[in-house]
Amino acid sequence: MDLFERLKDLREKGLSEIDKAQTEEKLNDVRVKLIGRKSELTEILHSMKDVEPEQRREIGQSVNKVRDLFNQKLDDAKNELVEKLIAEQMAKEKIDVTLPGRSNHLGSKHPIYIILDDLEEFFIGMGYKVVQGPEIETDHYCFEMMNLPKDHPARDMQETFYIDPEDLLRTQTSGDQARVLEKHDFSKGPLKMVGPGKVYRRDDDDATHSHQFMQMEGLVADKNITMGDLKGTLELMAKHVFGQNRQTRLRPSYFPFTEPSVEMDVSCFNCDGKGCAICKYTGWIEVLGAGMIHPNVLENAGVDSSVYSGFAFGVGLDRFAILKYGIDDIRDFYTNDVRFLEQFSREEK
Amino acid sequence: MLVSYNWLQDFLKLDEDPTVLSEKITRTGVEVAEVRHPQAGLKKIVIGHIIDCEPIEGTHLNLTKVDVGEDEPHQIVCGAPNVAAGEDVIVALPGARIADNVKIKKGKLRGYESNGMICGLQEIGFADSVVPEKYANGIYVFPQDADVKPGEDAFEALGMDDYIFDFDITPNRADTLSMEGSAYEVGAIVDEPVKIEDVTLKADGPNWTDNFTAEVDPKLAPKFFLRKITGVKVADSPLWMQRRLWNAGIRPINNVVDVTNYVMLLTGQPLHTYDARSFATEKLVVRKAQKGESLTLLNDKAVDLDPNDIVITNGQEVVMMAGVMGGLNSEIKADTTEVILEAAIFDPTLIRKSALRHANRTEASSRYEKGVNWDATKRALNMAALLLRNDAAGSINEGIVTATDTERKQDIVHTTISYLNKTLGTQISAAEVQHIFERLNFPVEIAGDDLTVAVPARRWDVAIPADLVEEVGRIYGYDRIESTQPVLPETHGGYSPEEEKIRRVKKVVQGQGLVEAISYSLTSPEKAVSFVKQPKELVKVQMPLNSSRSTLRQNLMTGLVDAAIYNMARKQNQLQMFEQGRVYDFENSTYNEHEHLATLYTGNVYFENWQHDNDPIDFYYVKGQLTNLFLAIGINPTKVTYQAETIAQMHPTRTAGIYYEGQYLGMIGMIGHETTRSNKVLKGKEIYGYELDLDVLLPLANNSKLVAKTAPKFPPVERDLSVLVEQDVTSEQIEEVIKKNGGQYLINLPVVDVYQGSQIDKKKKSLTYRLIFLNENDTLTDDIVNEAMTEIKEDLQTSLQAEIR
Ligand SMILES: [Zn+2]
Repeated sequence: MDLFERLKDLREKGLSEIDKAQTEEKLNDVRVKLIGRKSELTEILHSMKDVEPEQRREIGQSVNKVRDLFNQKLDDAKNELVEKLIAEQMAKEKIDVTLPGRSNHLGSKHPIYIILDDLEEFFIGMGYKVVQGPEIETDHYCFEMMNLPKDHPARDMQETFYIDPEDLLRTQTSGDQARVLEKHDFSKGPLKMVGPGKVYRRDDDDATHSHQFMQMEGLVADKNITMGDLKGTLELMAKHVFGQNRQTRLRPSYFPFTEPSVEMDVSCFNCDGKGCAICKYTGWIEVLGAGMIHPNVLENAGVDSSVYSGFAFGVGLDRFAILKYGIDDIRDFYTNDVRFLEQFSREEK
Repeated sequence: MLVSYNWLQDFLKLDEDPTVLSEKITRTGVEVAEVRHPQAGLKKIVIGHIIDCEPIEGTHLNLTKVDVGEDEPHQIVCGAPNVAAGEDVIVALPGARIADNVKIKKGKLRGYESNGMICGLQEIGFADSVVPEKYANGIYVFPQDADVKPGEDAFEALGMDDYIFDFDITPNRADTLSMEGSAYEVGAIVDEPVKIEDVTLKADGPNWTDNFTAEVDPKLAPKFFLRKITGVKVADSPLWMQRRLWNAGIRPINNVVDVTNYVMLLTGQPLHTYDARSFATEKLVVRKAQKGESLTLLNDKAVDLDPNDIVITNGQEVVMMAGVMGGLNSEIKADTTEVILEAAIFDPTLIRKSALRHANRTEASSRYEKGVNWDATKRALNMAALLLRNDAAGSINEGIVTATDTERKQDIVHTTISYLNKTLGTQISAAEVQHIFERLNFPVEIAGDDLTVAVPARRWDVAIPADLVEEVGRIYGYDRIESTQPVLPETHGGYSPEEEKIRRVKKVVQGQGLVEAISYSLTSPEKAVSFVKQPKELVKVQMPLNSSRSTLRQNLMTGLVDAAIYNMARKQNQLQMFEQGRVYDFENSTYNEHEHLATLYTGNVYFENWQHDNDPIDFYYVKGQLTNLFLAIGINPTKVTYQAETIAQMHPTRTAGIYYEGQYLGMIGMIGHETTRSNKVLKGKEIYGYELDLDVLLPLANNSKLVAKTAPKFPPVERDLSVLVEQDVTSEQIEEVIKKNGGQYLINLPVVDVYQGSQIDKKKKSLTYRLIFLNENDTLTDDIVNEAMTEIKEDLQTSLQAEIR
């Protein structure tokens, strides 16, 4: 049999063996047998020295062709096999994707801090600095400096936890105003601050009273601060917190540390001002107290009230949270029931 | 203050709808909490005249024939004890609607037809507190001289057609605690002139002032006037007065007492009447009470007087707690004929404290404590005298006993129109400012920019230019002020650096899945120092609401443990919580506040799952979370050391103090069994947590600018090292030896196994460390690593008698 015949035979035989190999091992054996060092193909190449030189080229080309063909077919077969194996394995690895995942608590911010952080961010954006004052405050800063001398009737309105005759748990964050006004150097620019924190009053805890709650004080002081500025600032804040569609109104009120004093109401978000139980059928909900800083407060802090003026406001953070989230018992904030607290995880900004 | 819309019309022209007016008053002057229209929801309630009244035998009922203005009288069965023929009464006709939405129908009672119902005042919506006592348990009977006719609407006669504004006044606006003051306010708001009547009085009795002396300390009572009325006949007040009283929330009593209440409502000046028989001494003294003195008040309350109460005596015994309430011993009785009438001003602070001390706040005391009009005292006295003559047939004795009559200088306030506008942010013209003060009835002079206002005594809240700003601003209308933003040089807002760090801490632990809690700062003295390594002096409040809220906390863990108990009692056994807040103490003679962070963990690493792939939370889980917190805030965790430590209420063998280069940062560990065992829901549960003093921790954080390094290009070399040591050798000791000898390329040595058990000596334990070596700049040779390993092993053998396995 001449070499061409052998090659042809080998080609047929080889292709059929590749076809038959169904595992990776067998396929490897076939590869060694067909194109390995001791394969018949190699042998044919070796036996070429016995052939006429003019035929050698032709035989060489044919051998290479068969080897290329084998390589190609072996690779294809292998790829096909691997694909099939992978598909089988993955079919076996099937899971029920509807079963639940493993998880733990997500973590959540307390609703009062959600309100506070949002307000702080809002005011920081307008150039306010955030100031922290002591919760154990002196009578001097909490009251005297705020135009509430001893025997002032408003001191009855603020039931106070005294620690000793001079020290107390602050009933309001206003003391921060006095401290900051005292320190501020107006030659270096205007004063814009918010002062948040815990405050305390001698109230028995019930659905609407808490002996501990949180407030945020705000103050702007400089040479040309107007009541229009106060109104504009409060309106921006109210709309930021309660929604752009809310109406607001200012009405006269009384605080010893501001004159004029006002309270701000926003149109009821429950009934949109038509009147309902939440707004006691007035259409309005009271949200904060504010006013122009009382000249006595400025003078007490050593600020010349004939040159400087300013506005101040106080926000009840618990109240904001109650209004914003429709909470009907203030004690919910301090009971720390995780089922209550965790619902706020999605409110994080 | 309940302000009657009908009564206001005595003083000014009002044609505004009451609801619209109420909104205006709220926006301009005083918050109107509610507008009440007493007849709202009621119908078919008329005046009836009882023609005939016969008892129905065997019952407490009466069969009446009542003229209700129809052709035939109505037969009505009535069970009231005070029903009688000849009375003018309130009748709810068939089809009527009375209080609580009750409908009246024709009916039969004990076989008798009843065509309607004779009503008591409560049945048509009156509060118990205003119903005259003698009609409290029966039907209401109109006074005999009342101008009422059968069949007429009862609403008008009873004042129920009125609109009642509930003025929710702030302490500075006590001027509106009177009808006249309210009229001035409303007049200014609606821009209508207000007419206040003057009083002219001609006495018709003998002079009495020569026979009576009054000794009054002007500090206690700067104004003090008395009049005497004789020949008084005590009876019911006329209907018009009763109507005004009950609409103002005051119960009519008799024609003497009612006059004082009426004049107080009208002028704001509290008045008092005494039976003159209690002044047989012909002497009256106003002084402070003496220790041991007591008085039974008109409301039958016996009080032991305090040396700071002002009292009125007849020279021998106390007859009144001045400004608060009269004594039973000088009360107006049915047989009283001679009356001493008092109009005075008392020290507001003393009155406020008296009322508070004896828990006896009254209409009078609340007016005194907020201030009264110094111009109205004598006028009110005369007005009351006149009414006693008109209503109670008295004659006014000649002369007023004036014990004190201190003058108060009128406040003249100077400012400028430009100051008003500058503060308000407005451009209100001089003419408009002028008009605003005219509306307020404040005498005003304007010269160019200068403004001078003479403040009437009735507005004692106005004293400085800022007060004028308020008056102008509110009458001009806050709604009309343009909303602006302050025009100021730019300021840089933001948090303090300390606050920024605290915020970072909170963010990290929240990201670790912790739920934020807020507990009360006030706790019990015991809990205040639980979980605290070194308790400091306690800070207590003077009048705590109760002992469990008496002391400021020195730790936050207490609050979290309380929260755990609360939640676990509600089957929430998987908890991860934190609180960031302050603790408080007294040290170095000052009160101190420190920012802390506490966390609490209990349950498993995951919620219960179907794969049973879970681990219980333990010390090391929590410590790992803490280590991550340290990394996240720039504290090198390898510089943090943990020392087993005994801390009150913590598990003594599972708790560590946390230190950074010798400084105590806080503690970590398990809540001790003394807390968990004694509590039903905690029993058998393991609760872990840590608490850190952020005031100490945060300044240690690395603030330097981060300069990034590229990731190492050379592979690390890892060697495991198992060490067998005595039980009491700590991992930290072994790590120290390894680090000391590991050379510069040893970058990490996690503990990969700890073994104690049957395979080894009982007194020993085996720890396996994975030593990771890395040269960031070159390939690490085996020689270098082997050399390090040899040194480590030798040192472990010598310093810790370790056996290398
Ligand atoms: Zn509403």
